[in-house]
Amino acid sequence: MTRLSLPLLAGGLALLAALPNLLPAGLLIASIQMLIAALFASAYSLLSGRAGMLSFGHAAYFGVGAFATVHAMNAFSGTGLLPTPLMPLVGAATGLIVGVVAGWFATQRSGTTFAMITLAIAELLHALAPQLKSLFGGESGISTMRAPAWGINFGSTTQVYYLTLVWVLLSLALLYFHSLTPAGRLTLALRENGHRLRLLGYNVHGLGVSAFAISAMFSGLAGGLQALSNEAANYAVFEAGVSASVVLNSYIGGVSSFLGPALGAALMTFFGYAVSDATQSWLLYQGVLFVLVMMYVPAGVSGLTGSGARLVKRGGWKLALPIMLLSAGAALLLSAGGVFVIEMLQRLCSQDYRALAQAAAELPNIALFGRAWAPMAMITWAVPIVLLTSGALLTTAARRRLGAKT
Amino acid sequence: MDTFVFSLLNGTVYGLLLFMVSAGLTLVFGMMGVLNFAHASFYMLGAYFAYSLQGLLGFGPAVVTATLLAGAVGVVVERFFLRRVHHHGHAHELLLTFGLSFIIAEAIKLFFGNFPVDYRIPPALDFAAFTLGRQQYPAYRVLMAAVALAMFGTLYLLLTRTRIGIIVRAAIHRPRMAQALGHNVQLVFMGVFGVGAALAGLAGAVAGAFYTTNPNMALEVGVMVFVVVVVGGLGSLGGAMLASLLIGIVTSLAVSVDSSLADLLALVGAQAWAQDIGGLMTLKVSSLAATLPFLLMLLILLVRPSGLMGEKT
Repeated sequence: MTRLSLPLLAGGLALLAALPNLLPAGLLIASIQMLIAALFASAYSLLSGRAGMLSFGHAAYFGVGAFATVHAMNAFSGTGLLPTPLMPLVGAATGLIVGVVAGWFATQRSGTTFAMITLAIAELLHALAPQLKSLFGGESGISTMRAPAWGINFGSTTQVYYLTLVWVLLSLALLYFHSLTPAGRLTLALRENGHRLRLLGYNVHGLGVSAFAISAMFSGLAGGLQALSNEAANYAVFEAGVSASVVLNSYIGGVSSFLGPALGAALMTFFGYAVSDATQSWLLYQGVLFVLVMMYVPAGVSGLTGSGARLVKRGGWKLALPIMLLSAGAALLLSAGGVFVIEMLQRLCSQDYRALAQAAAELPNIALFGRAWAPMAMITWAVPIVLLTSGALLTTAARRRLGAKT
Repeated sequence: MDTFVFSLLNGTVYGLLLFMVSAGLTLVFGMMGVLNFAHASFYMLGAYFAYSLQGLLGFGPAVVTATLLAGAVGVVVERFFLRRVHHHGHAHELLLTFGLSFIIAEAIKLFFGNFPVDYRIPPALDFAAFTLGRQQYPAYRVLMAAVALAMFGTLYLLLTRTRIGIIVRAAIHRPRMAQALGHNVQLVFMGVFGVGAALAGLAGAVAGAFYTTNPNMALEVGVMVFVVVVVGGLGSLGGAMLASLLIGIVTSLAVSVDSSLADLLALVGAQAWAQDIGGLMTLKVSSLAATLPFLLMLLILLVRPSGLMGEKT
């Protein structure tokens, strides 16, 4: 903990605690999803970032946790040993058990084969889930109710938000604590050099299984929170898209820092929620962003602040500020141009537009950003070209400055 | 009996199709050590290219053009994406191809919509090859099998009998040594990557017309192809062939088996007990067909971790 980050952390916590008073109900539901996605991404990057074992099937543990929680909620109905606030523990326990079994198989191999096994296990569950109706409820899924407990009825979104917040913060604290323990340090060593670790006498397979199981446990907890907030679970949680989004979120955020994946997941979930009405191509943007990050900023978005700070340290603000402004301007122009092209194409290729175009003699205009664009007019395609070229020019300028001064 | 022969034939054809896609994947893996997650996306691209071109060119030329286009996309991916991140390591490359597969699937949805397109076998090829019992066997399946077998033969001869094949095998086996001997290994990598992508594209263009062509086809085939290369042994062409056929036949036969675990337990007199338990016990094997390849893969990994014919670990 540096001097700067402690007040920052306290401020962040205070903001999270005050959120229900600041936001309307719709955004609060989105915040719950953001918190859950943040926990899921943190759990994921314990395995893939810290231990260096790429998993493409983490939806399995998330989904198992969600279903176990739903079943527990129906079985106990909030009374007895497990009141509603403790329900996510069921998800965590199930995630842990399934994680130990799956991890024992998967960590037999490393590298690419490991990644393929995780994918196969998730697909196995996804193919099996709709067949086992009694367990996973078939197509319609299983629904449940949050029962009142401890004098709270868990009816309002605010109460669910606080419940989720407490669990997510507790889990993040535990995950952070794990990274400080000897076992956590050894996980890092596992990524760096498994052979040397084996030579030093450590049980490499056991270490791998433990990292896998802990990651699966917190994924299951995230799934449990999801089930608690939705009051339902459907076999769609096993879909490849769920596994994919956690990979994209974590790496966009940057797996090399502890909070990177959580921030990435929260940001991506927020954007996904914010633009879901405006565009149908959000997943495409997410994919493009991911590939750009992988190619140009391997440390992720959270790594950008680090390199910015290094730049200031090395050359002072006088050097750093123009470069930062130039890069920000370039990013803005390039994304504006990219968004314009994608949205334009999306509307051009849509079913409705094709039907319209077939009925009319010439191509009808497209409404975008509050203006009607003629698909064949020069101006329509000049706008994105100008945006993209000027963005590219700014990028080269920023690079040249960076290259000249350092 | 007829049904059995038919499922056996269908399974073989499906297996050969899987081989067409996995051949390129396993070659590229053997060479660069990176599993190309976007490989099945080339399969999908092939199908969509052929679909959009067939009105313009006719079926045959559309398939050829689609194959070449898919290969060209493969070359672009290798040259401008993979090569740039090569120094970050294999995990990074795997993630990049994962992102690319995601983008290709979403781009297809953008251009063609999130539903199956109407890509069909041309009427000229839509006839029965032979009749067995009272059922007719479609000629197009025979054609698909012939394409796959011709491809396997060509690939095998090319790799073992020609000078290019020697260089490619050298580059796969000892890339640094081949480079030191003056061969342009980068170019070989790009070429093999492109050929692999083109083969996947060919498979897609041919098979897309028979099965469905939709934005999910890459994922469906992709997962199966990963199972094939892991079961067959990463980097082994013969292993890929064996595993493809095995998985194709097993899934195809399982679909027609109408019994469950409970029926098996009846042999030891525990049928009533099993039926009481329900769940997995009473599930018909036919409904478990989709999961069998994954179970097979886990089994292989336990018994023979390097795959059926793999040597590299």
